[in-house]
Amino acid sequence: MPTMTRRHIERMLDSAVSRRSFLGGLMAGGAMAALPNGLLTPAQAETTRQVWEGGYQTFRNACPRNCYDTCSIVTYVKDGVVKFIEGAPESSFTRGGLCVKGNSYVRRAYSPDRIKYPMEQQGRGSGRWKRLTWDEAMDKIAKKILSIKERDGSLLGLALTKYSGNFGITNYGIEGMMSSLGYTTRLVGTPCWPAGIDAQSFDMGSMWCNDPEDLPQARYVLLWGVNPAWCSIHTVKYLYAARDAGAKLVVIDPVFTQTAAKADEYLQIRTGEDCALGLGMARHILDKGLHDAAWLAEHALGFDEFAAYLRENITVEWAAQKSGVPAERIRAIAEEFAGAKPATIWIGYGMQRHVNGGAAVRILDALVAMTGNVGKAGGGARYGHLQTWAFNYHAMLQKPPAGSKGWVGTSGPKGEFDFAAADSGAASGGVKYSDRALNINKTAQEILDAKDPAVRMLWVACKNVFSQDFDRAKMLKAFEKLEMVVVAEDFFNQTVEQADIVLPITSIFEDWTINASYWHYWLSINEQAVKPLHEAKSDLQIAAALSKRMNELSPGSCTFATELDSKEWMIREFNKGIYDQFGLSSWEDLRKGPAKAKLVSSASFSDGKFATPSKKYEFRSELCAKYGHDALPRYKEGRAPYDKLRLLTPHHKFAIHSQFQNLDWMADFCPAPSVYIHPKTAAARGIRDGETVRVFNKQGEVRLAAKVTANVPPDALLLYEAWFKGLAYNVQNLVDDTSADMGSFKTGAPGVAIHDQFADVARA
Amino acid sequence: MDRDRILVALRGFFAARDGGAMVAAYAALAQADPTGEATRADAPAADDLECDFNRLFVGPGKVAAPPYASVYLDSDHRLMGDATRRAAAIYDAIGLSSPLPGSLPDDHLALELDAVLAFRALLVRGASAELAALWRYFLHDHLAVWVPRFAAAVRRAEPVSPAIVRVVALLSAWLDEETGETASVAGQQGGAACPR
Repeated sequence: MPTMTRRHIERMLDSAVSRRSFLGGLMAGGAMAALPNGLLTPAQAETTRQVWEGGYQTFRNACPRNCYDTCSIVTYVKDGVVKFIEGAPESSFTRGGLCVKGNSYVRRAYSPDRIKYPMEQQGRGSGRWKRLTWDEAMDKIAKKILSIKERDGSLLGLALTKYSGNFGITNYGIEGMMSSLGYTTRLVGTPCWPAGIDAQSFDMGSMWCNDPEDLPQARYVLLWGVNPAWCSIHTVKYLYAARDAGAKLVVIDPVFTQTAAKADEYLQIRTGEDCALGLGMARHILDKGLHDAAWLAEHALGFDEFAAYLRENITVEWAAQKSGVPAERIRAIAEEFAGAKPATIWIGYGMQRHVNGGAAVRILDALVAMTGNVGKAGGGARYGHLQTWAFNYHAMLQKPPAGSKGWVGTSGPKGEFDFAAADSGAASGGVKYSDRALNINKTAQEILDAKDPAVRMLWVACKNVFSQDFDRAKMLKAFEKLEMVVVAEDFFNQTVEQADIVLPITSIFEDWTINASYWHYWLSINEQAVKPLHEAKSDLQIAAALSKRMNELSPGSCTFATELDSKEWMIREFNKGIYDQFGLSSWEDLRKGPAKAKLVSSASFSDGKFATPSKKYEFRSELCAKYGHDALPRYKEGRAPYDKLRLLTPHHKFAIHSQFQNLDWMADFCPAPSVYIHPKTAAARGIRDGETVRVFNKQGEVRLAAKVTANVPPDALLLYEAWFKGLAYNVQNLVDDTSADMGSFKTGAPGVAIHDQFADVARA
Repeated sequence: MDRDRILVALRGFFAARDGGAMVAAYAALAQADPTGEATRADAPAADDLECDFNRLFVGPGKVAAPPYASVYLDSDHRLMGDATRRAAAIYDAIGLSSPLPGSLPDDHLALELDAVLAFRALLVRGASAELAALWRYFLHDHLAVWVPRFAAAVRRAEPVSPAIVRVVALLSAWLDEETGETASVAGQQGGAACPR
């Protein structure tokens, strides 16, 4: 035979047929079967061959990371390996594109740093880890749970903290696992958007935004504290379409964002003074008679009282002095906004992360309502919605074992996605038990304070406690109280560093679920495209594995299924309501692509009906007053500064909270964090661009590089919240757990004043 | 050097999932080590060896020296890449396959060492030109390209326990011997050239 070149060999290897015949008869009959103690096994059946030599298999997936866009994805698989992904072309919202984070999913799934096996740390924070089999891990965890039950007589010593790291519908199976074990402790509420949810619920009966795809119909768009150029890139095309049709885009933000750079006008508002600016605009609209008296007469309650409040207490000059926006601009924007039909405000989540955040959202709602823009296509006070989330929550709704004891008394909702909030408490000897609710936004303090029984064990799922919960120093103390910490994760973040046991979680490609959006109206299925790599399991499969071991050790101690088919459980989440809403004959329709809800109108509240007590838009809300707030959307003072400069810790474009920044593609563009400082502020402290500085306050400090830029206001420091692989950087060193004003009505706990924080900076 | 014994021990070491298996593999390696250096090294404590092994090769933290060919051979430096597929194809050509297809990447070092043992057993039975060519390709164009990079990554990840340093030194020594004896595919066209 002639000399074979490398190219010959590689060509042969790339074809299943030629490589099977390459060695001729030598391999017939499994010649290798005779080798003792080998790892590789004989290749026999045709089915074990790699059959894909040409095209790709495609699967439907979705990005589940708590982002406005919740993109629908098409995944291309060859030989059981994900090769690349694209945005699904069927979704007019995603329109075939993904963001930089979404495009990194293949690298995320196949990162060498992904957590591969269940592992146990030999001392928290020691970095000394040993592998466990899944059986060993479940055995250790189950025995701990049983010992807690034996010691306390209940499982209230077992706590779950779970939020939005993966918003898949079947991920609620981890809540289901907890319920299946008995009554447990739940960290309830949300750090994200609760003040605004309550505000909109008081005003309109629910949080319900227009379809973002109707933005091109808007003639005026106020982008208030929102940065879609980074945080909702697929909405930007609709904003541009609106502008192409004549709309003006105005950005109101303390920070000159990338969205501000693209707007027609940018107003730099003093952080936390959204109430003042909104009220100043409202007063001017009232003075000019630009409010929609006819709409208000028919659909609103308490507008006269609001108008009286404005006349007696608010002036444009006062608003200008408070907000830092010139009176002349307040008048101009107010008139333009009120004169354009329809006009809309997109209310960002950052602006309600304040002690007066809920009050501010009510005031912006009032601006939209008084100008008759509620219920109009192209109008609306856009914040978010949960209209497309009415699944069965079969995985979540599980019954405790008979005879379980728990918290005595009633419990509120376990978060905004708890669609079964009323279904709590079971009769047992005349006593009604429930889970124990602790405020997720005060996780550290709540763990420290909890007694009778103490929180002994914490289960962390879909969440990075040390990156997303507040006051890191206090969290470390709280963890010292915990006897066992279990974390389900895909990367070694700062919470895994403090775990006893880590469980490897599947990537989006490796198990079935469903993904809905809180912004647009598309629904995606998430198919299993490939096998779980290494030994990863989904939350649902982890729940089943734990239940299996619990029942082996103590029959009847867990009601969760001990074996389950994830696909089957996903199917059980669908119901007729969802099928009708999306025009589906079966869930299988979603395998052909995402579906959009059949909307009566692109506008929310288009029928003028509100789910408030009065059935009207409530400028005066007695319900709001009942929850301890002003009945009217009135000015509310911000938090008094506790240090020299305002501290802002918003999202970065390369991350969703603590996810994605750790990937190598992101690190290429953004290898390390910076603090952004205004030139005047920097000069006053002798700080030069690029040098290392110390940002510090009463909570702690962070050391990092200074970036001197006039994009931030002189009275503020800006650090993006993110988890950088291998860096100790953590903005929660600086953020305390002060509550926002609202949130407990709809989400079980008030929000948190993430942006009402203060600090100073000095050369390190 | 009893190459098969060394290879079996190396394979066992990199396939080990706990300290006991690592210590046993290391002991076997020490017995087969022609230089005797491994026996002179202090017998490693199983716990320390296991934690260090996981830090270097497994996780859960950032893995200092991932034992997968694609991390070193593919421009993407990630798992389940072209090199993984190539390794699976080589196994397929000699009638073998991964015990955990799709979940354990085919180009894990332990599987590749297992394939080396299989090639050696086949070659003993009689080498066709095709088999010899495929072996040379696997050795020179695959293993000899990525394993030195892997070994360098281990060396960079200081401090590394002496036992792991010795294991990697024996791995490198085996590879040097093996490549020194075998001509690469089509002479200078193959050799040390990186496939990518």
